Amino acid sequence: MSREREISNRYAPFQKRIRVAAVLVSAAVLILVLRLWALQILEGDRLFQLSLNNRLRLRPVEAPRGLIFDRNEEVMVENLASFDLYATPEDMPDIEDTTRRLAEILQSSPDELRQRVSQGQGSQLGPVLLRKGVDERIVAAIEEQKIDLPGVSLRVRPVRTYPNGGSAASLLGYVAEVSQAQLKSKEFRDFRPGETMGQAGVERRYDAFIRGVDGGEQVEVDALGKVSRLIQQVEPQSGFSLHLTLDNRLQRVAEEALQGKSGALIAVHPSTGEILAMVSQPSYDPNQFSQRMTPDQWRKLTGDPHHPMQNKGLQGQYAPGSIFKLVTALAALEKGSITPETKFSCDGAFSLGSHLFHDWKKGGHGALDLRQAIANSCNIYFYNTALKAGIGEITRVARELGLGAPSGLGLSGEARGIIPPKPTVPPEAGGWYPGNTVMAGIGQGMVTVTPMQAVMMVSAIANGGSLYRPWVVRKVETLDREVIEEYGSELVRKVNIDPDNLAIVREGMQAVVSEGTGGRAKIPGLRVAGKTGTAQVVENKKSGSQRGDQRDNAWFVAFAPADNPQIAIAVVVEHGGFGGQVAAPIAKSLLEAWFKLPKEQRPAQVAEAEPTEGD
Amino acid sequence: MEAHLMLTSRRVLPAFDWRLIAAAVGLAALSVLIIYSTSGMHASLFRRSLYLKQATWIVMGVFAMVLLCVVPYRTTWSLAYPLYAFLLVALLLVALIGRTGMGAQRWLSIGSFAFQPSEFMKLSLIILLARYFEDHKDGLHTPRIFILPIILTLVPMAFVLRQPDLGTAIMLLLISTSILVVMGLKIRYLVLLGAAGAAVAPVLWHFLHDYQKNRVLVFIYPDMDPMGAGYHVAQSKIAVGSGGLIGKGWMAATQSQLNFLPENHTDFIFAGLAEQWGFIGSLGLLLVYAYLLSRGLRLAKDAHDLFTMVTSFGIVCMMAWQVVINVGMVTGIMPVVGIPLPLLSYGGSSMLMNMLAVGFLLNIQKHRYLY
Repeated sequence: MSREREISNRYAPFQKRIRVAAVLVSAAVLILVLRLWALQILEGDRLFQLSLNNRLRLRPVEAPRGLIFDRNEEVMVENLASFDLYATPEDMPDIEDTTRRLAEILQSSPDELRQRVSQGQGSQLGPVLLRKGVDERIVAAIEEQKIDLPGVSLRVRPVRTYPNGGSAASLLGYVAEVSQAQLKSKEFRDFRPGETMGQAGVERRYDAFIRGVDGGEQVEVDALGKVSRLIQQVEPQSGFSLHLTLDNRLQRVAEEALQGKSGALIAVHPSTGEILAMVSQPSYDPNQFSQRMTPDQWRKLTGDPHHPMQNKGLQGQYAPGSIFKLVTALAALEKGSITPETKFSCDGAFSLGSHLFHDWKKGGHGALDLRQAIANSCNIYFYNTALKAGIGEITRVARELGLGAPSGLGLSGEARGIIPPKPTVPPEAGGWYPGNTVMAGIGQGMVTVTPMQAVMMVSAIANGGSLYRPWVVRKVETLDREVIEEYGSELVRKVNIDPDNLAIVREGMQAVVSEGTGGRAKIPGLRVAGKTGTAQVVENKKSGSQRGDQRDNAWFVAFAPADNPQIAIAVVVEHGGFGGQVAAPIAKSLLEAWFKLPKEQRPAQVAEAEPTEGD
Repeated sequence: MEAHLMLTSRRVLPAFDWRLIAAAVGLAALSVLIIYSTSGMHASLFRRSLYLKQATWIVMGVFAMVLLCVVPYRTTWSLAYPLYAFLLVALLLVALIGRTGMGAQRWLSIGSFAFQPSEFMKLSLIILLARYFEDHKDGLHTPRIFILPIILTLVPMAFVLRQPDLGTAIMLLLISTSILVVMGLKIRYLVLLGAAGAAVAPVLWHFLHDYQKNRVLVFIYPDMDPMGAGYHVAQSKIAVGSGGLIGKGWMAATQSQLNFLPENHTDFIFAGLAEQWGFIGSLGLLLVYAYLLSRGLRLAKDAHDLFTMVTSFGIVCMMAWQVVINVGMVTGIMPVVGIPLPLLSYGGSSMLMNMLAVGFLLNIQKHRYLY
């Protein structure tokens, strides 16, 4: 037996098994080939399409929002570039060195930076955010040392900025990401998650103009979502600028006057309806929303009992109190049930059936005519007048003057106020009682108005019977100052009230300031017409919610000059007390600012001593 | 011409299997091309420099190949146990002071080189088993002859599993089992051992990292998590399939380039090839591997002693299992268990080890002509 044969015999079992192994290996390779056939030939086209979708992404480039100016071209809302600092660890050949240099620029600890960078290594989230909103000095330094800082990048992000902070915040609104709830509603179906939009006030109402047209980039991205190549780019178009009717200077004066109080103030031009100032206090800083808001800030804003997020001028519904006496007077005059000369005697009380209604002044005012009654805001006089006019005529005049319906400013959330419906159910059947009429006649009970309605009503009285729609945006312009849209005054209606009667009431309103309850709005050299109001805070007393103050809401409405009105004002101070005492001085400081009059040097104690403390 | 060349080559450089060398070096060169072409313009600087590093490894690998080809294999035979012991110590050192990367402690740093003992352990285990079986060739009919080889396999396996490197541990197991079966270990004992293994599997499962558990689970339920562990497989299937018949062309492997494919230069390098050169390229690659394996199997079959038979068969098994599991994994019919493609995947230790293995095959081949 040769050696060869001996070996082959001896190894025969191994060789047999090796042959089996060879067959198995061949079979396995064949399976792989079949698998590749299935993937590459049978499914090739489908997977090829998939591979295309996999790498192309449309990346929106948000357009900068338009600017907002006041009537004197002063910037009220702008965009500031915020630079965010990012690191791409994969592009840093020497993390140690780069972070050390970076730490020098940022004046921070290199260890902390290095840690953040290495944490981002191999991250699925792309570049690591190192620092948000770095200042200009750092931006300059990083640009300068760019070559020594591989993998370090700055990204620009426009941040909506309100240079005046909380000034006019509730009117201007704020900008924030569209919320999950909004995305679900039909109105926002064109919005992408994460897209920012105007969320309140003017920012919201005029969002379509301000937001501009977002651009887009067709980019190639890798599996980490990191952009690796720009394929196509459509530049974003900046939003249009808004020019408001607001006067920033007046606005600031008004805010100062209402500082520390809770309430609202609106000033309009009575013969156009343009809003000159609109204050709601307390306010909030809309800049908070441009940055990412902390839950704590949000809780603080929404949990505040004074509702800083609310625009009280539009959303606050207050019992008008004595400012409603203007309506009652007009109703009685319209009906012919009184003349300016009609006198009622006031002894401090008025009985109706078994009810006794009181005047605010103990002992009463004595005999008064209409002018004196308005000037002194005599309740007894207007109880009588209300009964004579009847609730039907009172509500008709109220509705004519725009009460009980939204003013039409167009900002969201505007309240309607309450004006009682025409009584159809007789008192016997539990309907409207004469007592209700008496209460309504002095602006209590089933009557509420918003400060916006109040100022438009006063404007209509001031301008001789034209009810205007309030407006706040004068025009919309492109960046090149090309006018896109221009707005003007819009008459809601010529009120169906005899102009002579309006003149009689204006007469009374002048007397309010010159000799009545509104003495604190008196300005030498300016004929101011006004009406005070001190409205009982019914809901508080009823509900007993005791959220601190239960003092009455203080009202003051005014216009000036009385013979040629240039400005109309409504002020309400929540739980402020007497309107003549609290609200009238606020209106006065506004008038002084508007007519650029020197602030009258008038010590506070003199004011205290004035006789007409009442309503 | 052919005959003349063969004649000259036999005379000048006797018995070198040039086609085997061409296959191995060709694969290695292809690996540089794929790593280069899938790094893309936008990959990190580090990733973009890897093809050069791989080229360096290949040059070193060719030297290693020549070394093992020239050194008489009896020398290797005599070093079988010391080598194994040395690598066990190295594995112990890895566990103690090893460098960590990608969630596992696999490397030993020697200067600026990172060396992965577990890779070399595969070859060392083959050589060890070859020597063992040659030393005990007369006792192969007794089952207890297989006890020591099993222990010698399980010890390094345990180290590797602890790193954790599931892929290499599985490879050690498969290589050893294949050799034991060819050496006559009865299938019924194997089944018994398998049952014992299954009994301790829950214990081993406990030692697996979450990502490894995930990978096993995702293999069983492939659509469980398309963005997590299943993501690799989904992406690599897209990459492979999108290559179609002839591929997207050189440098056009968008899937592999754009980081859609993680590990696109190591375990998933096949996807880069399949995407660029399609079914034709993939088939070509498999044919080259098939050629390599058939050469090895022929050597094993024709071997004159058990040492060379087991060594060449072991090397074939190692490469065959790695090719089948790796390509199966990339095409989605095998679980994702980090097993590199021999001579193609990026990695110094893997390249060196495979080059050494080919060198060993060449050595055995050379000696056949001496008879």
